[in-house]
Amino acid sequence: MGLSLLASRALRLSRIPSRATQIFLRPIVSTRDLNTPEPATSAAPPPPPPPHRHPVGGARVHFPTPDDAIEVFVDGFAVKIPKGFTVLQACEVAGVDIPRFCYHDRLSIAGNCRMCLVEVEKSPKPVASCAMPALPGMKIKTDTPIAKKAREGVMEFLLMNHPLDCPICDQGGECDLQDQSMAFGSDRGRFTEMKRSVVDKNLGPLVKTVMTRCIQCTRCVRFASEIAGVQDLGMLGRGSGEEIGTYVEKLMTSELSGNVIDICPVGALTSKPFAFKARNWELKGTETIDVTDAVGSNIRIDSRGPEVMRVLPRLNEDINEEWISDKTRFFYDGLKRQRLNDPMIRGPDGRFKTVSWRDALAIVAEVVNQVKPEEIVGVAGKLSDAESMIVLKDFLNKMGSNNIWCEGNGPNPNADLRSGYIMNTSISGLEQADAFLLVGTQPRVEAAMVNARIRKTVRATHAKVGYIGPPTDFNYDHQNLGTSPQTLVEIAEGRHPFSATLANAKNPVIILGAGIFERMDKDAIFTVVNAIAKKHNVVRPDWNGLNTLLINAAQAAALDLGLVPESDRSIESAKFIYLMGADDVSLEKLPNDAFVVYQGHHGDRSVYRANVILPASAFTEKEGTYANTEGCAQTTLPAVPIVGDARDDWKIIRALSEVAGIQLPYDSLGGIRSRIRTVAPNLLEIDERVPATFSNSLRPESSQKIKPEPFGVTVENFYMTDAITRASKIMAQCSALLKK
Amino acid sequence: MGSVVRNALNSIKEKGITNFFRELRQQGYLNALLDGNLMQTKIHNIGATLVGVDKFGNKYYENLKVQYGRHRWVEYASKTRYNASQVPPEWHGWLHFITDRTGDELLRLKPSRYGAEHRENLTGQGDEYIYHSKGHALNSGQRDWTRYESWQPTKP
Repeated sequence: MGLSLLASRALRLSRIPSRATQIFLRPIVSTRDLNTPEPATSAAPPPPPPPHRHPVGGARVHFPTPDDAIEVFVDGFAVKIPKGFTVLQACEVAGVDIPRFCYHDRLSIAGNCRMCLVEVEKSPKPVASCAMPALPGMKIKTDTPIAKKAREGVMEFLLMNHPLDCPICDQGGECDLQDQSMAFGSDRGRFTEMKRSVVDKNLGPLVKTVMTRCIQCTRCVRFASEIAGVQDLGMLGRGSGEEIGTYVEKLMTSELSGNVIDICPVGALTSKPFAFKARNWELKGTETIDVTDAVGSNIRIDSRGPEVMRVLPRLNEDINEEWISDKTRFFYDGLKRQRLNDPMIRGPDGRFKTVSWRDALAIVAEVVNQVKPEEIVGVAGKLSDAESMIVLKDFLNKMGSNNIWCEGNGPNPNADLRSGYIMNTSISGLEQADAFLLVGTQPRVEAAMVNARIRKTVRATHAKVGYIGPPTDFNYDHQNLGTSPQTLVEIAEGRHPFSATLANAKNPVIILGAGIFERMDKDAIFTVVNAIAKKHNVVRPDWNGLNTLLINAAQAAALDLGLVPESDRSIESAKFIYLMGADDVSLEKLPNDAFVVYQGHHGDRSVYRANVILPASAFTEKEGTYANTEGCAQTTLPAVPIVGDARDDWKIIRALSEVAGIQLPYDSLGGIRSRIRTVAPNLLEIDERVPATFSNSLRPESSQKIKPEPFGVTVENFYMTDAITRASKIMAQCSALLKK
Repeated sequence: MGSVVRNALNSIKEKGITNFFRELRQQGYLNALLDGNLMQTKIHNIGATLVGVDKFGNKYYENLKVQYGRHRWVEYASKTRYNASQVPPEWHGWLHFITDRTGDELLRLKPSRYGAEHRENLTGQGDEYIYHSKGHALNSGQRDWTRYESWQPTKP
């Protein structure tokens, strides 16, 4: 900029702006009225009180202590809010949505984007509402010329260094900056200089960075350090040289890293697998749940035609808040690979040959009618829904066999006491806990959302965490008490220092991992844990802190439905084995002449041993009920059509029963659900958590001896746990790059 | 005219009568007996200079002694089915007096880096020559709309 230009600008500014000069000078703001904003107090006639507005998003205000309510005025309308609310929250209660970039409900307050400026009476300057505590009697003005001009100015500065690449930006259409510049920004710019540019960072295979678009709201930095618990991201530099980055070149190694894509208000952090694949307005959203772990995170599947394009979290305060794990968010490309789309029969030459459904079912029915009933075995996979599991159980029971179980539940699961296999505290209930005892479980890889909840609690209340198991990675402070069940005995007998922590705790929580189900001495471990619970008052009428953390989506429903095998050695004597998506069941001991039917959606592990393959639908393609680890039943909804010639799980078994001559008495999902009602009515209470009726202390004491062998690692690879995630290329990349 | 007859007699002497008639047929003189256009072109060619031959075999002639505007013409490679769309783009400009650079010069000046090969317009030549868009039932290069990969039993 030349000196003469500066001089002329100074001269122009010193002159009193008149109507005539305004024609030649570019106005500072687009709206004529905002050129000379005056404090709202000078407005002579008081406007009539505005009509009652509802809080933003239909939110409800919770008053912890009713005496602490204060009254503020937002745009002349009085609202009651609890003490400690910020001005922004007060405005939200009043139904006024304040524009913001850096403020996020679940993160600490930064107050650095300045977008939320409002006018407060008797305040000389506009105040940043997100960082300003509301005081009694405060008069907040959100719609005055000063507030509007402040927003317009902030927006102009934000857009100064923001590239105008919306047409090639993946955030386009769902970008906060785009929306808010339309709503609150100026309709013209005065910017003629060069924009700055920032080097892109490599955050790994999931998060794509275009750092030039960053507006330094620091939401991602706060998310990483507060929620994800990894100190990877930070702020470097000052002023216009400020940039977000990892200080040294480093990948973001958090199992929640995908959430920074959602919280980034601009297109600086976007999804790498989704990059340039679709625009958000082309997508159809289907609100369903996730089945890759036992948490049952609420998700929205965005699909375009027959393809799942991306997975986004859905708000559910009781389960996943508004986060999901990386596995949930990025496994979806596994749905497009290795799919079984035609019924196949293994010929005498050992090769598979595509056949029609009629032929495939006829062969299965012929074989199943030839073998003895006790030689029939059924295994439900970890992704099975409750409906298909009850149909499979009914089918096998009608054939005369009772050897059916769900993989992951161990050799002889105990389905008698529901409190023995679900999370009795409930996931949101963990926030009240003040001491955790994790027994043989690594929640960070087994259930990332539960781990995030524990971390939230530990961060908020400094709860003590004791952990018994092999050394593993935690993202919060913990004590490794030992590796074997022997430590449990010490705690039960009060010889261990951690028993003092449990004794002092008001709401202690014990979480047992599902890996214990596979141990031979599981009953003894449950007995010891029950003793600890009894001693430290873990189970009270108002508090139940004795939990089991499951790892598979089908586990809880399978135990609810009573999928318990008659003998734990049934697989060794099986002549006919029906695998319903069971890929992790060990088939080594299966006799060579056994007839294996594999019904599933992915050609994964068990399919190579199968004699007949019946293609089924994946969870994104069917309606099915799943119970999560806390016993909350939820349903999936079909987002995309079924691939190829596949069919729903329950329909296949229903058709098979008819071909086999023992027709099952239902032929619709409604019919199956009324059958479920007689077995496990809690599975029909959709989206409602039904607590267990009987306490786990009723479990009979076992005379088993505890074995000294240490607890194992249940989930070896967080990213690849089931048939879908094992087929996913993105998950394979993640496990190659991010697995520690 | 006398020179034409002399040249013809000379070449019969050189090549023999069979070869002479074969060449006569190949160069379209037999077609020219029935095809007035071709006959006129052949008559024009006498005394004209052959400026160049393109990759399809079309010959481009110029005769500056004839009336201006009629001094450039093409003798198509095909003597039976010829039409104007057989002229490739590099010669089109020269032939239509848009440029004085011949097609060969243009190719030397600006080598083509990309672009489809020139094809004559085959309208009316039969169904197999009609353009069908991607996804049309008659397009041989059918687009695969399957959005998933199926499991292949032969793979390990």
